[in-house]
Amino acid sequence: MASKRSRVPLIIAIIVVIAVVAAGLGYYYYTSKPSPAPTTPTTPKIEKVVIGIVQPLTGNYAIFGQEAVNAAKLVVDIINNELGGVRSLGGAKLDIVVEDAGTSPESARLATEKLISEYHVPIIYGAYISRFTLAMGTVTEQNKVILVTDALVDDLSQQGWMYFFRVAPKASSHGVSAVDFVLDEAKAHNVTIRTAVIINEDSIFGTTVSNGAHLELIKNGVEVLAHISYPYDITDMSPIVDQIKRLNPDIIIAIPYFSDGVLFAKTAKAAGLNPVFIAGAGACGFTDPDSIKAAGDAVLYYTNTYSYNPAKPTDWNQKLVNEFETRYGKMPTEAAGEMFYSIFTIYEALEKAGQMFPNDPLNPDNLRQAFLSLDLNESNSIAAQLYPTGRIKFAPNGDNLYAGTAVLQVQLINGTLTSVVVWPQPQAGVQAIFPRPGT
Amino acid sequence: MTPLDLLVAAGQQVIDGVFLGLFYAIVASGLALIFGVMDIINFAHGDLIMISAYFTWLLSMTLNLDPLFSMLLTLPILFLIGLGIQKGLINPVLGKEPLIQIAVTVGLGFVLQNIALGYFKAEPKGYPAPLFSGGFSLGPFVIYESKLVSAVVSLVVLILLSRFLAKTKLGLAMRAVTDDRASAMLMGINVGRVYLLTFAIGMVLIGVAAGLWMEMGQVTPYLGTSFSLVSWVAVALAGLGSIQGLIISAIIIGVAQSLGSLISPSIQMAVVYLIFFFILWFKPRGLFARR
Repeated sequence: MASKRSRVPLIIAIIVVIAVVAAGLGYYYYTSKPSPAPTTPTTPKIEKVVIGIVQPLTGNYAIFGQEAVNAAKLVVDIINNELGGVRSLGGAKLDIVVEDAGTSPESARLATEKLISEYHVPIIYGAYISRFTLAMGTVTEQNKVILVTDALVDDLSQQGWMYFFRVAPKASSHGVSAVDFVLDEAKAHNVTIRTAVIINEDSIFGTTVSNGAHLELIKNGVEVLAHISYPYDITDMSPIVDQIKRLNPDIIIAIPYFSDGVLFAKTAKAAGLNPVFIAGAGACGFTDPDSIKAAGDAVLYYTNTYSYNPAKPTDWNQKLVNEFETRYGKMPTEAAGEMFYSIFTIYEALEKAGQMFPNDPLNPDNLRQAFLSLDLNESNSIAAQLYPTGRIKFAPNGDNLYAGTAVLQVQLINGTLTSVVVWPQPQAGVQAIFPRPGT
Repeated sequence: MTPLDLLVAAGQQVIDGVFLGLFYAIVASGLALIFGVMDIINFAHGDLIMISAYFTWLLSMTLNLDPLFSMLLTLPILFLIGLGIQKGLINPVLGKEPLIQIAVTVGLGFVLQNIALGYFKAEPKGYPAPLFSGGFSLGPFVIYESKLVSAVVSLVVLILLSRFLAKTKLGLAMRAVTDDRASAMLMGINVGRVYLLTFAIGMVLIGVAAGLWMEMGQVTPYLGTSFSLVSWVAVALAGLGSIQGLIISAIIIGVAQSLGSLISPSIQMAVVYLIFFFILWFKPRGLFARR
């Protein structure tokens, strides 16, 4: 026992000596390195920049993730093959690594951790579903990785995150846009809107969009007769439709997720529910090609708000729409559109980082500065050409200061149910059909 | 809302609930039959409905046939698929540890989901213009044609099933195996053959449920989860051994769900489960259990 005690000071002394010697050698090595001679900035040579993509590829939300990944592949091919990669980084090619967000925030978090630990990605894009993105954000912030998101819930930009950017409009603005569109059209057609019913799927997304709509209705003096939430996997819409029928509102603002939108439209048609107008909000359901295929004329005259305008008549937008349709056989909708302009925004931020910080362009703080310095419009940017408002500039909280939506309506054009842009600027040769015929 | 309005609203939900319940009865009938006769919980039940719904949709779109008619074409195919699944997957695990049976049927469900996701993608698929897509008024109530038709077809099929179990040789053999497998074997019943045909007939019932659903709604790769849950509740509530019991239990579930949505659609299934717990508190073997 005594001999053990006597060894302790000796061990401590040895550790101290080793530490002092190591520190001394380190100092000598550091100070003896020749200081770099001042030079003019040169183009850094980076072969590729890997962007991590986390999207729901399985589970109920896979419909969005699959479309987003398809869009990412298309955009990256164009950037690498037609634009020559990121020029300010010596022609660095973009590479994407896709991870499945799965069906829970936990699986999205694990996917994010994998991208950071295995692939050391400087930028991650994801994950469409807001609660998944919330879980991802804690990981990206801790690891100082830029997170560009296509999730829309307002709260995401209120977390105090430093490395977070969102080009797309936030959820509440979808609800506001849906109401503003209806009231604009009502005014233009001399229709008075006094009452409304709001229905929404009860996720954080649906709730946020519907709250935006609710406040906007109240602000404009429209009485909200009922605000009904329901689970997105609902299999029977008739109780909700029955209730709306009894309340007999002038308009219905609906925030579906997808399948529920088809079910609502079919049930409403069967019940003969025909208010002055039924406006969707939140970019899911009603007006996308798959909902039209599944619901048929039950969704005729329905509208929805989108974070992307596929009919925007800029050269780059038409090029991407055409190439997407050629490659995948369908029109790009919300998830693809958000991916289009977000990846091009990332590309333009990388160009900026290469120009601003040629010695360390992928440093997270430098990348952040590059994102914040972007001021994109249709004359200087491909991303802005793809964006509904044509402007992208980030606020310190990461939201786009010029965010905006487009409203699409299902109309019967040449005998075919077609989704067309009707607001804020209708596409060529089209105008909103308002109110619903027969009301 | 006046008391009369409330009464009308409740009446409407009861009507919707009864129709929904009859549909749930056909949804749960395949599970009940297979569980009752073979003593195996088919965790892939909902996913088999989902994949059958895709078959119906595919035939409907290809042949431009209403789901009610294309469903009839799927039934022989599903019967054969049922024979295959029973022979290849279920038979080897019959009488084995419950954990192995659960793993096999859960695994089958996942495989079916992934096949659907890979082949049909995640977009909802529906028949855009079903024959019964309208509705009509009956006094102050709205009657949805598709729900009415599905309720009537469900009821007819379940009555036929009940007659089949009561009057045919195979039906009696199935009931005998349900009641006492060992005695049935001693009486010379070919239990293996009964199992084989039970699963195949269960698949036909699944096909009917899928076809009726496609008249009302649409299918995604994850449709099965909702139907699995409601089927288990219906079977547990009814207890084993009675088609009539299954129908009544499913109607209780349908009406509870519809009335629950009067409070809030977000809690309608919670209302169903509360009633389910309440009933099982007094009748732990189910309302109509024969054994």
